[in-house]
Amino acid sequence: MRVFLIFLAAGIGTYLIRISGILLLGGPRQLPERVKRSLVLVAPAAMAAIIANSLLLEGTQWRAPGAWHIAAAVAVGVALWKKSAGLTLLVGVVVFAGLLAAGL
Amino acid sequence: MTPPSPAFASIGREQWRDFWAGTRAMTPLMAGSAAFGLAFGALVRTVGIDPWTGTFASVSVAAGASQIAIVDQLRVGAPAVIVVLTALVINARLALYSAALAPVYAAFPRRWKLGLAHIMTDQSAVMTVLHADKWPDPVRRRWFIFGVSGPFVGVWVVGTVAGIALGPVIPEAWQIGFIVPLMFIAVVMPALRTWPALTAALVAVAVVVLTKDLPYGLNVLLGALAGIALGSLVPTKPVPNVGEEEGPGGVETP
Repeated sequence: MRVFLIFLAAGIGTYLIRISGILLLGGPRQLPERVKRSLVLVAPAAMAAIIANSLLLEGTQWRAPGAWHIAAAVAVGVALWKKSAGLTLLVGVVVFAGLLAAGL
Repeated sequence: MTPPSPAFASIGREQWRDFWAGTRAMTPLMAGSAAFGLAFGALVRTVGIDPWTGTFASVSVAAGASQIAIVDQLRVGAPAVIVVLTALVINARLALYSAALAPVYAAFPRRWKLGLAHIMTDQSAVMTVLHADKWPDPVRRRWFIFGVSGPFVGVWVVGTVAGIALGPVIPEAWQIGFIVPLMFIAVVMPALRTWPALTAALVAVAVVVLTKDLPYGLNVLLGALAGIALGSLVPTKPVPNVGEEEGPGGVETP
């Protein structure tokens, strides 16, 4: 029951976070140009932050260089080259699996 | 119930097509979502959390990183308030997506805003902002977004249930966690087409690693905010050739 209530509270709080900007900034009035320019940058900034945190770090430690970094670099290359999310994921997974199998 | 009129039926078909277009755009990422759900479900089972509660977690919170953090904290016996707050700090970045989606959702009826908000994730939010301009009609746009967001959360939940039922079928040695940076590399690279976006990404990477000792994943939030702030100072001009730039995933470890 305690665990259920914790997930319930986290779910309600997360929903309020999810709805916040949509309700607060979603009115009929036009947003200032500066705000609009900032909002466009949310996706690249947040994504890059998550990538850096999950790829370069392990908790608060640096991740030891190896399969993660190489496979990610290959994935970045594929994404720039083909602009296909599917191909990027596929090549990334295959290269990563290959590197792990090779003992990296 | 009266049978739907032919006009309604034809609108229905178009809506279904738009929904499907969204789902198709997300299909490769859905494989990642399912695999990650499987891993979360296995974690739930390993820790000994009630299967219904574990499933409820994926339906109600629907944000993987925070759910894993909750389970980790429960395992070490953290107080409930701390557990919930940690999850909310990790999910605070969703408020940024929510703000970014406000203009995209502006013309939607309130019930659509309330519904689509719950199924908004990192991946679907980015896919939505990248494609919204191609869907100027608000009705078609919301069906497209529904198709982007709904099935992605759906396979997350299905993956969770399967993981709870099957247990840890994915060996530890496979390091399934790699799916996280990989998925985000796949979604974000097309968005790095302008100098402000590129600046935002690189600043975010730098701040995340410089503040790596902060607790509760605060470094991610801080990195995102710093990236947005500094990126917005850069004048907008398209990058001549994105291929020459290092993306965030290619940054070297010192």
